[in-house]
Amino acid sequence: MQIPVIRNVLEANEKMADKVRERLSGRDILALNLISSPGAGKTSLLERTLRDLAGKFRMAVIEGDLQTSNDAERVAATGAQAVQINTEGGCHLNSDMVSRALDKLSLDGVDILFIENVGNLVCPVEFDCGEDAKIALLSVAEGDDKPEKYPLLFNLAKAMVLNKIDLLPHVDFDRARARAFAVKLNRSLEIFELSCRSGEGLEAWYRWLEKARAGKMRGRTG
Amino acid sequence: MAEEEIARRDCTRLLAARVEYGALAGLMPEALHCCFEAIIRGTAHEQARLELVCLPVRLRCPFCGAIFGGDSQDALATPCPGCGELFGHIVEQGKEMILSRLEAL
Repeated sequence: MQIPVIRNVLEANEKMADKVRERLSGRDILALNLISSPGAGKTSLLERTLRDLAGKFRMAVIEGDLQTSNDAERVAATGAQAVQINTEGGCHLNSDMVSRALDKLSLDGVDILFIENVGNLVCPVEFDCGEDAKIALLSVAEGDDKPEKYPLLFNLAKAMVLNKIDLLPHVDFDRARARAFAVKLNRSLEIFELSCRSGEGLEAWYRWLEKARAGKMRGRTG
Repeated sequence: MAEEEIARRDCTRLLAARVEYGALAGLMPEALHCCFEAIIRGTAHEQARLELVCLPVRLRCPFCGAIFGGDSQDALATPCPGCGELFGHIVEQGKEMILSRLEAL
């Protein structure tokens, strides 16, 4: 018997992602999915952001790593709520993991939820976790051709953070090249060059977060 | 998913499954074949074939409306053949991963 079917292979993930999105939108929570290679500074960016904006927003974090709760502990040290997911070998988070992590958080009054994905520029891009936006992170200690090598992330992300700019004098990273390729893939990409270590450039990133969160509220009232 | 669909039609043995995937979907055919072989082993579907069909990338230029494409991610960074625009190509096809056809007994 021949059976024509049209079913999205990732439909289970996408259905759950929509549920997560509904759940968060019902509470006006802005959800951001942070994606980068290992060591680009996702946790450092969160630590700075959670400390610096603690007076402005209530924030929560879902940490994804293969092993250890080191990152959740680092983030929790800032006073923010954090829950760790250990994928035990899995290379990305999916919407079901995020949904189960949400059960462990107290979402009352939360304004922004950060989902720190497993360090990987490939599969995390394919799996919708129910976020409002993906944020691509890279650091100047990496190659400036990352956007060229991993185009889908930069094509889909709303914002790109270029971290560790305090190291620029010591590395051969060509900022213009990285920017040019990223924008080629996504002309509306917002780019923030910053250093979590020195604090340079963080202000613009914070303004963007404020704007994105305000946009989320308007989306609800509108 | 295939088991669900064939059971709905009172079939018990899968003979073939076709998955159509976009060239931007990040799917590795060898890897999927390998997994497929692994999951059907020792089941009623042991003889089933997996057919993978790659759908080329189709892009639309938001400025002049030209439709163009290619077989790989490189198409995203290719200027629009209509107006030369480098930026903002809209992906019309290329990211999908669809179970499109089954054969069963």
